[in-house]
Amino acid sequence: MEELQGLDLNLPKQTHDIFAIMARGHFISSNGSKDNMGRLYDIINNPENYDRLQAYFNVIRYNIERGNNYFYFAKVGEANSIIEKKLETFERYIDIIDLFASMDNKITIGSRFRPGEISEECNANVRLKQKLQKIPMYRSETMVNKVRDICDLMARDSFLELEDEQSESYKVLDAYTYLMDIINAIAIYEETGSSDESKGSGLILN
Amino acid sequence: MALQVNVKDILSQLYHNRGVVEFLFANRENITVNELLAREDISQEQYQKLRSLDLLYEYESIVSLNDAVVAMFEDFMEIGEVTPGFINDYINELKRHIRFYQEVHEHRFLRSVKKYLKRINVALSREIIKLQKNVDDTYKNESNYRIKLQKLEDYREKRDTIIDFIKKTEEVIEETRGLFALTNDTELYGIVNSLKSNLIENLDFLIEIQTDITDYINKIQFQLDVYVKVQRLKEIKDHGALHFRTNFVETIKALTPLRFNGIKGPRTKIAVDYLATDEGFVLCQRIAQKYKISRLMARGIAGKLPSDFKDKLIDNQIKMDTEKLVDRFLAQNKLNLFEFLIQYKFPKAVGDIRLNDRMSLFVEIAMEYEKTLDFKYRLNYFDYEEDESKKQKRLGYTVILPTTDGKKKEKKAAA
Repeated sequence: MEELQGLDLNLPKQTHDIFAIMARGHFISSNGSKDNMGRLYDIINNPENYDRLQAYFNVIRYNIERGNNYFYFAKVGEANSIIEKKLETFERYIDIIDLFASMDNKITIGSRFRPGEISEECNANVRLKQKLQKIPMYRSETMVNKVRDICDLMARDSFLELEDEQSESYKVLDAYTYLMDIINAIAIYEETGSSDESKGSGLILN
Repeated sequence: MALQVNVKDILSQLYHNRGVVEFLFANRENITVNELLAREDISQEQYQKLRSLDLLYEYESIVSLNDAVVAMFEDFMEIGEVTPGFINDYINELKRHIRFYQEVHEHRFLRSVKKYLKRINVALSREIIKLQKNVDDTYKNESNYRIKLQKLEDYREKRDTIIDFIKKTEEVIEETRGLFALTNDTELYGIVNSLKSNLIENLDFLIEIQTDITDYINKIQFQLDVYVKVQRLKEIKDHGALHFRTNFVETIKALTPLRFNGIKGPRTKIAVDYLATDEGFVLCQRIAQKYKISRLMARGIAGKLPSDFKDKLIDNQIKMDTEKLVDRFLAQNKLNLFEFLIQYKFPKAVGDIRLNDRMSLFVEIAMEYEKTLDFKYRLNYFDYEEDESKKQKRLGYTVILPTTDGKKKEKKAAA
């Protein structure tokens, strides 16, 4: 990297940090605070930097993808090898977001919450309780532990950030929009739909 | 106000208790009397004094700063709630003073006109900046989505109010242009000009804010729509039809982020040389613990070098010498061990070897090389002069001789 920088690519000096986060498959959100994330977001968001970084990372076949207030890496021209796992992951995310969506206090970008709050609300509401119980998570015995595991999972996927370990307070990052976008992108075909199941003919409920 | 007060009193009280004021300003909503009094920089007496001046209020044992003080700080720092209402008052005052001036062209009214023009200018800019900050903050940090939406709608209204005020101010300036021209006052001319350009700038800014607010509201709305949709999807999923009645599979297959495609971060091999370093060792140890590989755990880090390691070095040297010393002793047959050691010329590098050192060497060799030495059970005597007292002393020692070819030697324990 030193040598390439010597070629006067004019890369921002945070290039290494950016790579370290995104190459792990994490998102960089504008409202993240760990690892100086907000600052890194601003740096990528600067159009000049963006072009340079994009060109630079493309050389090693990483592509920066832009979402609403977040960035992530995609690998250029690589076959998807683990489709089963991917489907499983997102089926679980449907369960999780469905739970979030059914709660009184809806979780949105910038929300802060503690696992305890969610588990309490689930405790008080049979419907939520069932939803929570049906989410497949291993080795979670109590409700609050299960919620904790969910939060932990989402923090590892960088949709949430553990803002304060002491109070176990999580913050919803901009990358959460990514999940929203995916759900929005899934088309539901009408019951009466024709045999043609292509995207174009299915009625998209939004 | 409870007491007659003056600026000096208030300022000195505020200054005197500046730590407390700062603390209360930072924690505006939730400091109890007890918490406050637990601080070292305020006593019960001072607290009462501040209360009597109405600088502090107490309500249900929650302490708060006087609103006027808080407002003053907020104004300077351009934070706090957006309260554009008072700009209207300024505009009305401005109109009133313009009327007075129209009747009697007296300088004092003109001065008030200038004052209000300036105030309107400053207040408008400040409120707009606060509006911008609040909108941003609400979108990013308000956790309850209903309140978030409500707040954003409120800000939209406030924005409209501010636009109204800008229009009103423009009208007033327009109407009184002739009058202002008549005054021939250059200061007034400057004020009006800067106000005018600021009004235009502020309008632009407000349009931007409006875009932001709309954008934020849309995003929240989008999210709520998505939440409705996810519930629908979940329903379909529970019926086991997710893969058939939706294009879930295609959509998910097409996702590109590294994380969901099982692409781990780039792996580079660790340099072997690095593993040989202390840092590398710590790494190895951690891995060894994880996988329970005892082989990797064997090598420890060297302990800290003791501060007197140099002295130890010399000790070791003498010790090392003993072997050679014994060899040499065994190689001769004229002297017994004690005589040999007393007369032996040690190399300079070892340093000054004194009588005491030679005696301990004698004892050491006698004990360690018992087998190769011939102990004669009789005493010889050695006369010497004690270092400090210069007293003549006599030392008895056992005669020890080399064993080889029947040599003798003697030795003795010190007196």
